[in-house]
Amino acid sequence: MSELGKKPRVAIVGFGLIGRIAALELMDRYDITVFEKDRQDAQTGAGMLAAAMLAPLAESVICSQVLAQQGLEAIAMWPKLLAKLDADVFFQQAGSLIVAHQQDRGDLRSFEQRLKPLDGHHPLSADRRMIAELEPDLSGRFTHGLYLPCEGQLDNLGFFKASYDTLKRRGVQFNYGCEAVVANGCVDNQAYDWIIDSRGVGAKVDNAQLRGVRGEVARIYAPEVSLQRPVRLMHPRYPIYIAPKPNHQFVIGATEIESQDDADITVRSTLELLSAAYTVHCGFAEGRVLSLNAGLRPAFVDNHPRIEKKDNVIAINGLYRHGYLLAPVVVQQALCEGLL
Amino acid sequence: MDKLTIYGERFDSRLLIGSALYPSPQIMQDAIQSSGADIVTVSLRRQNSVAAGEDFWQLIKDTGLRVLPNTAGCHSVKEVVTLAHMCREVFQTDWIKLELIGDEYNLQPDPIGLLEATDILLKDGFKVLPYCTDDLVLCQRLADLGCEVLMPWGAPIGTGKGLINPYNLKTIRERLPEQTLIVDAGLGLPSHACQALELGYDAVLLNSAVAGAGDPVTMASAFAHAVTAGRMGYKAQAMSEKDVAAPSTPTMGMPFWHQN
Repeated sequence: MSELGKKPRVAIVGFGLIGRIAALELMDRYDITVFEKDRQDAQTGAGMLAAAMLAPLAESVICSQVLAQQGLEAIAMWPKLLAKLDADVFFQQAGSLIVAHQQDRGDLRSFEQRLKPLDGHHPLSADRRMIAELEPDLSGRFTHGLYLPCEGQLDNLGFFKASYDTLKRRGVQFNYGCEAVVANGCVDNQAYDWIIDSRGVGAKVDNAQLRGVRGEVARIYAPEVSLQRPVRLMHPRYPIYIAPKPNHQFVIGATEIESQDDADITVRSTLELLSAAYTVHCGFAEGRVLSLNAGLRPAFVDNHPRIEKKDNVIAINGLYRHGYLLAPVVVQQALCEGLL
Repeated sequence: MDKLTIYGERFDSRLLIGSALYPSPQIMQDAIQSSGADIVTVSLRRQNSVAAGEDFWQLIKDTGLRVLPNTAGCHSVKEVVTLAHMCREVFQTDWIKLELIGDEYNLQPDPIGLLEATDILLKDGFKVLPYCTDDLVLCQRLADLGCEVLMPWGAPIGTGKGLINPYNLKTIRERLPEQTLIVDAGLGLPSHACQALELGYDAVLLNSAVAGAGDPVTMASAFAHAVTAGRMGYKAQAMSEKDVAAPSTPTMGMPFWHQN
């Protein structure tokens, strides 16, 4: 306590996924003020656009064993984090299914070879029958696949809304549309006991090592499609996943392009994503396109997250395509010394 | 080792390496360094406007290597010519690896469009390195237009199948002795690269074989060794193949009861 009876003051700069988790972790013990450069109704930021998959085993193909293992820990942390919210948010751990069309079977084999062993969690080879049992809608469409039972997902839009509502009720102060300057241990010249810098790509102005990696996603309403869990389709250029969300909504993503360009999705990417989804399930043909989005994932050169502490400023950034996968663990690591 | 010549410029390494599909930029930089390559290929996607792609471009510049821009992802002559001009401006080089896709799925080059685009770009002052199929007549036509370097495929991009038609590649080498020939695409193993160099190819260009390996940095080094071995093997003039076994140990002096 900085003064008798008063809670210490924390400023959270950047109210995306990291800022929200930090605020939820700190809300009981700190007096929190949030600064967010976008307007409250803006549909921007990696955490807002993401498919919010929790896929440590599948991602182990492209990330280190340490990160994949952290992803596994984070899955166990999510239910506790969601329990802090005043509203229910959809969360499931029903595994994920990886499928490939005949001509991409080579990619599936190489994907399987690259899966790293995670404590007690193994991929299961899925034949035609198993695919039909797991996802009846895909019965007969695919003959080979992989089932990764430990994986999960959550509803990020639900999380974004519920986290704001909960924090607002707990007295968190919000400053939207506010490009706050973090300097000399202050935010806009105001002193705080702690400052959490969770600006994502927005921190690039102060950190030249940070880069944006463009990603594009589609959100589709498709009442004719019924999937029980995220389905990942092998694709020659990037894995395309279809993550089923509540109310017959599906997030289909995501491209991965080394570019800082966050302008609208291109026609090519739209065609690739939607045609891939259509080849998985023809019920997408009659689906409605709710939104087509493009955004930037914040990443460092090794694509690993970084926690940087300087005096009373803690910067958490570079979660790349692993925001939901890693955020609970990374935020806890960042806050455990001093704040928690 | 003798040097690789590309449009009059000379390079030590006979391995050209790509910059796509690595697990992270850090691993890309480490793998490129470990490959010993002097030349790195970079694709300029339209989406990557100059400013938007600046961060990634800086990572490439940090390698200190000579940049060979490519036109990956183009499907028409007009598109490829426009992108080549953009590349010249962005990367400040008149080199262009010309890639014009004819088939969307296996990314097979379009030979007819390639000839047309090569002609236009050579006249526009480019030094064109065309990515082509292993067709002798196509290679001859490209050489007739003025290409000093030709890059026939070993196999379709990213398949890792190696040299699927060594006979064709050998014929091209024999018939076009003056051109610098680089096997581009389709390699998966270091032995594939070695085989290309043994056939007398001047170099290999690869990306997926390294970027898609479990340990790209070590694989890059393996390819560097393979290329050296292949070139040395070619220069050392291999013995001719025979159908009948010839003993390496003379039988003279062997006890008569050991001889048939």
